[in-house]
Amino acid sequence: MSTPTAHIASIGTALPGDPVDNASLAKVLGVNEEWIEVFIGTKTRHFARDLGTGEVRWSLADLCAQAAQKALAAPGVDPADIEFIVLGTATPDTLMPATVNQVADQLGLDQVPTFQLQSGCAGAIQALSVGQTMIASGQYRTGLVIGGDVCSKHLDVQRDLSGAAPSDLVNFVLFGDGAGAAVLTAEPAGQRVALRHVLNRFTGLGRKPGQVIEWFGLADRHDDRQALTEDYKAIEERVPVMAVEILWELLGELDWEADDLDFLLPPQLSGRMTRRITEELDVPTAEEISCVADTGNNGNALPFLQIEKLLDRMADGHKALAVAVESSKWIKAGFALEKI
Amino acid sequence: MTDSSTAAVLSLDDFVTLVRDEIGLDIEPDQVAVDFDELPDWDSLYLLKLVTALELATGRKIAVGKVLEARSLKAIHDVAVGG
Repeated sequence: MSTPTAHIASIGTALPGDPVDNASLAKVLGVNEEWIEVFIGTKTRHFARDLGTGEVRWSLADLCAQAAQKALAAPGVDPADIEFIVLGTATPDTLMPATVNQVADQLGLDQVPTFQLQSGCAGAIQALSVGQTMIASGQYRTGLVIGGDVCSKHLDVQRDLSGAAPSDLVNFVLFGDGAGAAVLTAEPAGQRVALRHVLNRFTGLGRKPGQVIEWFGLADRHDDRQALTEDYKAIEERVPVMAVEILWELLGELDWEADDLDFLLPPQLSGRMTRRITEELDVPTAEEISCVADTGNNGNALPFLQIEKLLDRMADGHKALAVAVESSKWIKAGFALEKI
Repeated sequence: MTDSSTAAVLSLDDFVTLVRDEIGLDIEPDQVAVDFDELPDWDSLYLLKLVTALELATGRKIAVGKVLEARSLKAIHDVAVGG
């Protein structure tokens, strides 16, 4: 008997509250609005935290559960069939319990194996990889794969940012919050999109991290370490090169030609970086599916937001390829989809 | 320091001082015209601080698009004080 192929049966996403535009963000941060528009190229993002008061309106678990509920409510999907849950996130609500278990609780799911991956921009793909492997094992037939981040945990609106380092400040204009979920099945169901291949590989041996997110405990919470650090220069240099390498590696693995691609889902760093990377990927015959200019970089939610847009356009036989790079410790990631 | 008449007084030397103070980039006046590729410590993220600092110092709005096209600090200074 051949190894079962995983299929995406449905997708759900959740973005908290109204979009926050650059004018509102620039005012709160005391930075130049046009700089965000031109340099970052992101127009809007969503925050789980109220930008005016700092009040937390949604937890990561709330957003993940909202996204999962949408995926579970889709035609051809039965919540009673869910046999496992995998969540990828860089920003869990608490270290324990793992947020995935709070999501299961909100969804009314019980007696299923749950996994949470501590992960950045490659996390959704790592979660897909785990889900695919579980289905390929033949032991599980249906599972829920989720990715989400609440980056606004670090958006301290009371903080005086006038003295903040650029590597600190840039995080406030790059990131947003959100979640996405997919129901994976062993047999084609619902959207009938086959997950043809998943790439998830650590390539950071001996390389300095491109992004660091600290966490603080009782003993070190008063340290003045920068909570988020972005080596933007290294990211600008390395990510486009890695993205091209990933594209060609995936095409080689699949024995697909670049011309075979109907859709390309490029890495979603920021509106401007994504435009640049897409140019370098240079697959003019494939339609680009991006969301970051409207959603902000909401980490583990991004591939699901892209797949949601993709499913609106995909017809039978269409092929799509997604590329992602996690610059924290330089992880290459990607996946290929085919509607059957 | 907030009206446009002060824009012309941001000399290149004042600009170098501002670059040193605001972004901590240790440059000498003779390095302002070199291409960013030859300035190993340059990081495009510095532009955020620099644009904000230049707007404060000159009292005028800086054309960010033009600053992003600049290939040297001198070219940014030209954008900041130019027409």
